[in-house]
Amino acid sequence: MSLRAHSAAERRDAVTSFTAMASPCSVLVDTEDHDLGLEAGRIVQAEALRIEAKFSRYRPSVVTHLNRHAGQPAEVDSETADLLDYAAACHALSDGLFDITAGALRRVWRFDGSAEVPTEGQVREALDYVGWHRVTWDRPMLTLAAGMEIDLGGIGKEYAVDRGLALAQARMSAPVLVNLGGDLHVSGPRRDGSPWRVAIEDVNCTGEAAGLLELARGALATSGDAHRHVLKAGVRYGHILNPSTGWPIEGAPRSVTVHADTCSEAGLLAKVALLRGAGCEEFLKSERVRAWCVR
Amino acid sequence: MNNCESCSANPPAESKARGWVRRAGPALGALAVAAVAASSAGCATLGAKPWDHDLLAEHAMQVDPYPLETRVDAHIYFSKEASSGGRSFAGGGCGCN
Amino acid sequence: MRVQLKKSDPAGVRRALAAAAAGLLAGGPVRAQSPQSDPPSTTVDSALLVYHEVNRVQAIEPEVNVSHKIDDDRTFSFGLAAGSLTGATPFGAVPSTLPQTYVRPYKVIPLGTPVTVTSASGGSTVVLIPPATGAKTRTLGASWVVPPGTYPLEHGFYDRRLAGNLGWEQALTQWLKLDGGVAYSKEHDYRSESAHVGLARDFNGHNTTLSAGVNYESDLSFPIGGTPTPLTEMSAQWKGPNTSLHETDAVLGLTQVMNRRWLSTLSYSFSELHGYQTDPYKVISVVDPVTGQPTQQLYENRPDSRRKQSIFFDNKIHVATDVIAASLRGYEDDWGVKSVTADLRYRWQPDPDYYVEPHLRYYRQGAANFFHNYLVSGAALPEYASADSRLAEFHAQTYGVKVGMPFDETYEVYMRVEYYDQHGNGSPAGAIGQLQQQNLFPDLKAYTLLLGFTYAF
Repeated sequence: MSLRAHSAAERRDAVTSFTAMASPCSVLVDTEDHDLGLEAGRIVQAEALRIEAKFSRYRPSVVTHLNRHAGQPAEVDSETADLLDYAAACHALSDGLFDITAGALRRVWRFDGSAEVPTEGQVREALDYVGWHRVTWDRPMLTLAAGMEIDLGGIGKEYAVDRGLALAQARMSAPVLVNLGGDLHVSGPRRDGSPWRVAIEDVNCTGEAAGLLELARGALATSGDAHRHVLKAGVRYGHILNPSTGWPIEGAPRSVTVHADTCSEAGLLAKVALLRGAGCEEFLKSERVRAWCVR
Repeated sequence: MNNCESCSANPPAESKARGWVRRAGPALGALAVAAVAASSAGCATLGAKPWDHDLLAEHAMQVDPYPLETRVDAHIYFSKEASSGGRSFAGGGCGCN
Repeated sequence: MRVQLKKSDPAGVRRALAAAAAGLLAGGPVRAQSPQSDPPSTTVDSALLVYHEVNRVQAIEPEVNVSHKIDDDRTFSFGLAAGSLTGATPFGAVPSTLPQTYVRPYKVIPLGTPVTVTSASGGSTVVLIPPATGAKTRTLGASWVVPPGTYPLEHGFYDRRLAGNLGWEQALTQWLKLDGGVAYSKEHDYRSESAHVGLARDFNGHNTTLSAGVNYESDLSFPIGGTPTPLTEMSAQWKGPNTSLHETDAVLGLTQVMNRRWLSTLSYSFSELHGYQTDPYKVISVVDPVTGQPTQQLYENRPDSRRKQSIFFDNKIHVATDVIAASLRGYEDDWGVKSVTADLRYRWQPDPDYYVEPHLRYYRQGAANFFHNYLVSGAALPEYASADSRLAEFHAQTYGVKVGMPFDETYEVYMRVEYYDQHGNGSPAGAIGQLQQQNLFPDLKAYTLLLGFTYAF
C-alpha cells in the first residue's frame, strides 16, 4: 500500500521518502522549520534501516546468526531479548496462532502464484521444526532446536514504525506521521488540530485509485495476503499458515486493517485476527478493536 | 471485493464519538489495503519478490563472489590463450600476451 | 514476561497485548548497536597463487584487496598484487634433428670495461659483439644451444611484477550506481596504466540490472635488448626504442533474476587496440623447403590494430544447499581468432561451515590468420607472421577442486588446486622434411595452487 498525504497542507509538510523493508516509506512533519523536519525524517529512516539490517533474514544479522546456530544456546542483546519477550507474549495471547518459528513452513509452501501445494507428508515433516514450545527462551539465552529458524518479520516493521516515531519525537515536538509501507503511526493531530489525511492506493497491478483516511492519533497496521497465494484446482490457499497444522488458515479475509495506540499493537491484532480465519470479525468485535476487513 | 458484513464497516459504536479515525470518500473496505505486498515488486513476471531474495543474497550466488580469484584466473588465461575479456575490464594489463 | 489471560474478559487479549507492546517500546530512545549485529564494513581479501608449468615457467603471486564501505552508498577499495615469474619458455622456433644455436641481446657496457662473465642466466654463454665505429658502448649477447629433438626454449626467463588498483563505487539513487577505478602495473620490461568507469541501473524491484562500462588502457613496452625490427634475423644487436599500445574497451551487461534460485547474466564486450602488439622476444623459423631444417630465425610481426568482441553468458543456480555456476563465452577478433569457453563449477555445501567445489573448464580456439608454425625459405615473406603457440589452434581443459571454510560471514579460508592442459596439433599435414617427425605444438601442462583468506570486520 502506498500512502500520500493529499491535504493542501502537503506542500508545507517536510517529507522524507525512502525505501526500507522492501516497501516505500515516508515521514511527514508538520512544521515551519523544514530543515528540522527533514532531520527528523532522516532519523526515522536511519532507525528503520538499522532495524531492517539487524533482524534481516538474508544479510548477516542477529537473526541469521541465531538461525545458523540452531541447536546451541545463543546469547542475545537486550533489544532482541525485548522482541523475543514480546513474541512470546503474542504466542500466549493468540493461543499459539502467532509463532515466530513458523517460518520453517516456507520450506514446503512456495507462495508465488504457482500450483505447488505440498503433500501431507511434506507438511508433517516441516512441522517438526515449527513451534515456540520447542524453543528454550531464558533471557538472555535463546536455544532453538536444530533445524528451526526464527523470523521477526511479523513484528519488525511495526516495531520500526513505533521506534521511528519515538526517536522523531525525542528530536522535535512538531506533529509527525511515520509510514513504513502502509503501517503508520502519528504523534497526534496536525498543528491546527485537524487529522492527518492519507490516501491509499491499491497496488494490485490494476492501479486502482484511492480512498482517504483521516487519522488524528494512534497507529494503523494492515495484514493481508493479496499477492501471496497458491492457486490449485480453483482453490485459493492464502499464505497465512496455522503453525500447529501447517496448512493455510481457512476463511480468513484478504486483509485486515486495525487501529490501535501503537503500531506494534495494531500489527499484532491484525495478524491474530487473520489467524482466526473465519472467526476474524468475531474476534475483532469481542476485543473491541477498531478494524476493517476486506473479503 | 465485498464489504465485510459481519465486520464493522464503521468503527464500533463506543468509539464513534471519539472520531479518531474516520473514513472519507469511497468505502475503504472496498480497497485492497495490501500493506504486505511490496510496491516495488511491480508487474514483472520474471524475477523474485523481495521476500524471495533469500537464496540470491547468499555469497555464492553473487555475480562475482570471489573477485580476487577471478582476477588471478583472468591473468593466467590471458597469458596462455589468445582470448580475453568476458566479465569486465577493470584492472591493468601486462606484457604477457 | 508474565501474561494474564482471562478468556472471559472482554477485550482481555487486547489489553494484555497493549501492555506487552508498551513493555517492548519502553526500551528508551537510543539503542546501542551491539557489535554482533553491526554488519562488517571492511573486507580484506588475500590470495597466494603458486603456478607451475611442467618443465616451463613457475610463478608465485601474492595479492590483496581491501574494500571499505564508507556508508550505505559509497565503497572504496584498493588492491596490490606482486608476481615473480621464472623458468623457460618457448619462443617460436621449431625443433630440429640438428643442434640449433640462438642468440639474444644481454647487456650494454661501456667500451673498455673488461668482460669477466662468461655465462648469462639460464645456461647461456656470453658473446661479445663487435662495437660499431665510434661507439662508446658495446653489447654483450647471450647465446644458447638447443640439443636435437628437444623443443627450443629460452631459459633464464624471469619477470617481476607489481600492480596496484584503486576503486570507487557509489549509489547515485536507489536504482543507479556508479563505479570507477584506476590501475597500474609495472614489470621490468612493461608498464600499464588504465582507468575505467561504469554505470548500473536496476529495474523491476532490483530483479533486473543493466550495466555499461568503459575502460581505457595505455601501455609502454621496453624490452630487454630493445624492440627488434619485425621479420629481421635474430641477433644479439641492441634493438630499437620503446613502443606503446592503447586499448579502449566497452562492456554492456544485463543481469536478471530469473527466479528465486537462478541468476543470469549476459554481457557483450568490445575492444579496440592500437599500437605495438608483437612479442619482442619471439621469432618464427624459416625452413629449407626440402629438408625442413631451420635456416633463419626471424623476429615475428603482428598487426598494430586489433578489434575483439565477446559474448558472455553466466548463470548461478541454487540447488538444495548447493550452487551451480555455469558460463559460456564466445570470442572473435579481426586477427582471425575465434574461441569458445565453457566453465562449470558445482559448489557442494551440505553444511554452512564448509564447501567442496569441483571445477571443469573447456576452451577451444582457432588460429590467428597470420599464425604459421614456420615459414618456407624462398617464398615471399608475409606482412605479418607469428609462430607463438598462443595464437595457434588448440583446445585446453582445466580440472580443479576448491575447498573452503566460511566462518560466520566474518572470514573464509579456501584452497584450490587445478590442472591445466593445452593440446594443439603438433603434426600438421604438409609438414616438410624433418618437421614431420617433430612435435610442433609445445604442449603445456600446468598445476596451480591458490590459497585464499578473506576477513571482514
